[in-house]
Amino acid sequence: MEEVDRIIVHSLRSIGCDLEDDVQSLRQFTTEVIVSTVVRCLKVILGDIDLPSSLPPGMSARFRLGASLANHVQDLGYKGGDLGYQTFLYSNETEIRKIFMFLVEKLPKDTSQTADEPMGSSVLLHRAISTELGYQLSLAWLPPYLKDKGVRTRTRPPGWQREGAFCLHHFRGRHISTPRSVGSLTVKIPKELRSYYTNHLPYVTNQTSLHRDTAPSVMETNVLEVASHQEWENEWNQLGLASRLTQQEFKRRKHERLMKMVKERLQQDSQHQNGPDSRAAASDLQQILSNIEAQSKNTGLRSKGSRFAHTEKLQYAADEDKAMTQVGANVATKDTEEEQEKKRQEEQERLRSELANITSDLEKLELEVRKFTAGRQKMEEIIASETKAIVEKKDTFSVKKRTLDLLPQAEDNIAKLQAIVDASRQRLANLAKQWEAHRDPLLEQYRQLGDLNSKRESEAQKKLEEIKQFRERMKETADDTRRKDELYKQLISEYERMTKDVNRSAYTRKIMEIVANIKKQKQEIDKILVDTKSVQKEINLLTGKLDRTFAVTDELIFRDAKRDESVKKAYRLLAALHENFEQLIQTVQDTGVVMREIKDLEEQIETESNKKILSNLEKISADLQQMKKENSGLLAKVKGK
Amino acid sequence: MEFGPQVLENIALAGDAAHIPDKIFAKLVTCACQGVLNEDQRNIVEENPAFKDTNKAVLKAAFSGLVTLIIEAAKHDSSDQNISSLLEECKYTADKINEFSKIFLPQKPHIQLLLGKIGFSFPHIVDVDWRLDYYIKNNNVEKVNSGVYLISLKTEIPGEHELKDFQFSCTVEQLQDLVGKLRDATKCMERIAQV
Repeated sequence: MEEVDRIIVHSLRSIGCDLEDDVQSLRQFTTEVIVSTVVRCLKVILGDIDLPSSLPPGMSARFRLGASLANHVQDLGYKGGDLGYQTFLYSNETEIRKIFMFLVEKLPKDTSQTADEPMGSSVLLHRAISTELGYQLSLAWLPPYLKDKGVRTRTRPPGWQREGAFCLHHFRGRHISTPRSVGSLTVKIPKELRSYYTNHLPYVTNQTSLHRDTAPSVMETNVLEVASHQEWENEWNQLGLASRLTQQEFKRRKHERLMKMVKERLQQDSQHQNGPDSRAAASDLQQILSNIEAQSKNTGLRSKGSRFAHTEKLQYAADEDKAMTQVGANVATKDTEEEQEKKRQEEQERLRSELANITSDLEKLELEVRKFTAGRQKMEEIIASETKAIVEKKDTFSVKKRTLDLLPQAEDNIAKLQAIVDASRQRLANLAKQWEAHRDPLLEQYRQLGDLNSKRESEAQKKLEEIKQFRERMKETADDTRRKDELYKQLISEYERMTKDVNRSAYTRKIMEIVANIKKQKQEIDKILVDTKSVQKEINLLTGKLDRTFAVTDELIFRDAKRDESVKKAYRLLAALHENFEQLIQTVQDTGVVMREIKDLEEQIETESNKKILSNLEKISADLQQMKKENSGLLAKVKGK
Repeated sequence: MEFGPQVLENIALAGDAAHIPDKIFAKLVTCACQGVLNEDQRNIVEENPAFKDTNKAVLKAAFSGLVTLIIEAAKHDSSDQNISSLLEECKYTADKINEFSKIFLPQKPHIQLLLGKIGFSFPHIVDVDWRLDYYIKNNNVEKVNSGVYLISLKTEIPGEHELKDFQFSCTVEQLQDLVGKLRDATKCMERIAQV
């Protein structure tokens, strides 16, 4: 029973019942404790339930509370005998134990399930934070001059911790450059770049001006790369694969598009900026524009450019030139230094006017040039059309001349011409036949190739789809793996925490012990049963023997008794003896029955005395008195009204 | 712990015996830790004669990869297993992984401390001087007769080298209020520590 009580008390504590620490068995439970714990259990099991958690002072209220508790417990399906208010208010140990066993079994299991569920990483982090904080709180205070710039050395676990703010500095990420793809053999690096890497590039830890910025810079560089890589992956998966270009092509297209956009914007803006104060900006702009041009030329060289891009460049070239000259005009005036104010300014003015003149001249000249080029193109067109006309006319002239030559001997010539025409016709027919002969297989081949092509295309499409699917699956699997890894880690940490909790293993051990005990007891009971059976058998045997012996003796003596008087007496004595012994046996049996009854009664007495009837009776009578008093009080009140 | 492809390539380069011989790998890892930790050793690789025969471009790439790995691993407080699984992906041999862990793990707390120094903080109170004055009267009021506390908080300010004083005066009630607030803050910390 001790074990059971301990388990019950433990589970009651785990659901938040307010029990004293020294409470170990149900015998120590007072009525108040019983009622409050039962109410707590019911609240946990049923959720929302309207019961006061402590015993009310009034007797009738107590009675009502006890009755409602009994109702609730019976509603839950309790089948252990009659249940009423008396069970709770005038408790006895065994009944209360039964009820608590029932209630503890009914307690929802989900509280333990939520504990089993793996915790999120945030929970783990919280826990780590709290252990670290707990450790730091347990340390003694240390005056600041004993710390090295706010860093405190500690011995267990060995390490350092930051206390104070002297050592703090801001996160400053500088740009850090590292050699790119020097290890791979597939990528060619320009010789200049390689020599820069080898001779001049400082090591990573030596690149920032302040050493303390190294770590932030390295982190930022890495994060930047990760982020841009992810962005690119996303874009490639969404748009890139669908466009059916290679990665380089796709990148190049995007680059071109962006460059064009930037260029357009810049041009628009530069047209808006006309004031003299925008010169500095204009010089920057010029640089950027020239950069863009150089870059786009580079990309053009590298990729040979699509035709579309090429034509577009030609279109924009003229506009760009104009923008350049505009910008350039502004910049040139700005380059002069201001040392000798007046002279310089005059010179500046002069130069400016000169420059303006030159620019306007240049513009004029350019306009003229353009006009002239346009005129030249027109002339060239005219010349071309004229030459064409000349050639045509020459042809007609030669034909006409020949016909005129043929006219004098018309008959002959007509015949000759006829022959030539016939021959030509025949040759034409021949050629047509030959063409037909050639054409058929070629056509066939063409068709076949077309079929093949379309098939291949569809196959490529299919493969593309497959690749997409694979990619998705790859990503899913990777995600899955990551998730499972995390789960695994959490579970491991959980497990490490769990091992501290010996309760469970102790319980299992106890259960095992109990089971072993029960087995032993069962064996003993079996032994005793066998014993009893054998004794019963012996008794049966003996009674049988006795009966038989008596019958034989009876017969022998009865036979002799007819002849002999003394034997007759012996026979009578035998009968008496037998009867006496029968009575004796009966008595022994009766004694056994009585003994058993006594034992039963003793047990009953024990259980009854266990039920604390006397004290309960006293309590009940006291409560009755109180009730009566309350009732009379109430009556008096009513009458008073 | 995530790395960009370029960084991964550099890390793999450091573990490639064809580029970085096994002999100097351990030295390179040590140098990476030292170079991150100590300002006077930031150029340690260049000065070290052991790396004379190695291709400098490759060495620089491998070094940058290792430095990034060390800093990121310390940032995420990566365990031995996490690091080794990452290095396995970069085709490191078991020996090299062991070697790396052997050198890096003892240095991890130091690097974490270094990373912990990056940040921002309000002035940090480390000490307090106080004085209780008795305020008898002033030119307007003949009789005041109340206690005035003069408090001077000693604070550490990031980037400074000396403690800085914050001085103020307050009445008993105000001081009690302040002490109550401080006590609340302490309780808060204790509650967090108990979770």
